[in-house]
Amino acid sequence: MPSLLPAVAEQLFRDIQKTYQETSQIPDDLLIALKFVFGPCALQALDLVDQRSVTCLSSPSGRKAFQVMGGSGRLYTCFVSCHYCPCPAFAYTVLRRNEGLLCKHVLAAYLCQALGVTQEESVSDQQMSKLLSGTAAP
Amino acid sequence: MTDILTLVFKTFMSQTDLKKDLTVSPPPPTTCGALVVGDHSVSRSVLLLAAVTAASQMGMRVMFFTQTQIQSLPASLQKCFSYPRTVEELLLQIASLHESTNTSPTPPSLIIVDRLESFLSDSRGGSHSGFHPGEQSCAAHLSALLCDTAAFLTQVLEQRSSTSGPCRVIASFQSEVDPEQAGGEPSATDPILDILDRYFQVRCTLDQDRGYEAVAAGLQQLWHIYLSGRGITEASCLTFSWPCFPVLLTATLARGSRRTAIQKDSRQLVREDYSLRPSLPLRTLMSHTCVARVCIDHSFV
Repeated sequence: MPSLLPAVAEQLFRDIQKTYQETSQIPDDLLIALKFVFGPCALQALDLVDQRSVTCLSSPSGRKAFQVMGGSGRLYTCFVSCHYCPCPAFAYTVLRRNEGLLCKHVLAAYLCQALGVTQEESVSDQQMSKLLSGTAAP
Repeated sequence: MTDILTLVFKTFMSQTDLKKDLTVSPPPPTTCGALVVGDHSVSRSVLLLAAVTAASQMGMRVMFFTQTQIQSLPASLQKCFSYPRTVEELLLQIASLHESTNTSPTPPSLIIVDRLESFLSDSRGGSHSGFHPGEQSCAAHLSALLCDTAAFLTQVLEQRSSTSGPCRVIASFQSEVDPEQAGGEPSATDPILDILDRYFQVRCTLDQDRGYEAVAAGLQQLWHIYLSGRGITEASCLTFSWPCFPVLLTATLARGSRRTAIQKDSRQLVREDYSLRPSLPLRTLMSHTCVARVCIDHSFV
């Protein structure tokens, strides 16, 4: 399975973004499509969206990354251009079992980006490097 | 990455053996990278040649990451090489490529990582048997970081020059899974390679020919080069000879888009190759869209 979203998922995010801009809500048919495409993690991701758990980090170089607060309070750093999350669910369900496209954290990041409800935070270039490499202090 | 690999083979091709022109075109921006799979001594040579070719012929700034020190390098290339000792160091160095010290005066256009399996073995936590779950996650992290870094550097390159191509990634990996020892079972796949295939859209497989022809060739070893994956769109084969470099490469070329006798011969060659190596999974052979036979003088490696 590739690290980029399938075309149907990309279109779904575009539809969600367009509809949300017009009506400030996600209609039931798009929620059902979200659940169909992404499975059980869709509802968990929507909970994270409601809790405004996603922050877009940016550094002076222009590099960006998503930081998602998980249910346990732990922060997960995800990439903006391809799928990866250091959480156990991504390692097991996505990578090892190949049973899902994304984990709830990556999905929440994409949804927040589509809905425009991402928090914004600036970090230094060096801090960004540590976060991307997973060597930042917890 | 495939344009650079193609240029490597084309550059060192003897004109007397050149049957068809090779078209070298930049990859689409959405293509992440190429994974060179095979014996690490040969793949290392390919990566080194890619670095030299990209730097000298395409004017690219190259960053080459490897654990093994390279003893003799031209002074102009030494600054392109970095020797991280652990996977953590490698991750940090790649993650740092966005910093201004690395993007000035020009950002890297080609990122090369030699022997991913050597770096990933660090993540087994001391376990030397089987595949460790941490190794899969580490493989995904490293691959995704390479993709994300290349995507960012592509944006920087495009901002600075509208004519610049994307930032490319080439990495090498030698699988621990031997299809011959596994009895040729199609299910005998390397879980780490499965992870890497998610992020690298092109795979360049270097496969040694152990048939009678290779033995009859004497000291030279016969290698097959296959290009496969989502990033390959047309079938082609390569013919070239490479006598002027420490690594001697000879391959047979047939262009897949033209129904010529050469193309027919290469298809027969593919069928013959399969019969020589019945343990090679059929789906693997059938999915390959580019074939080259390569003779390598191992006096270099």
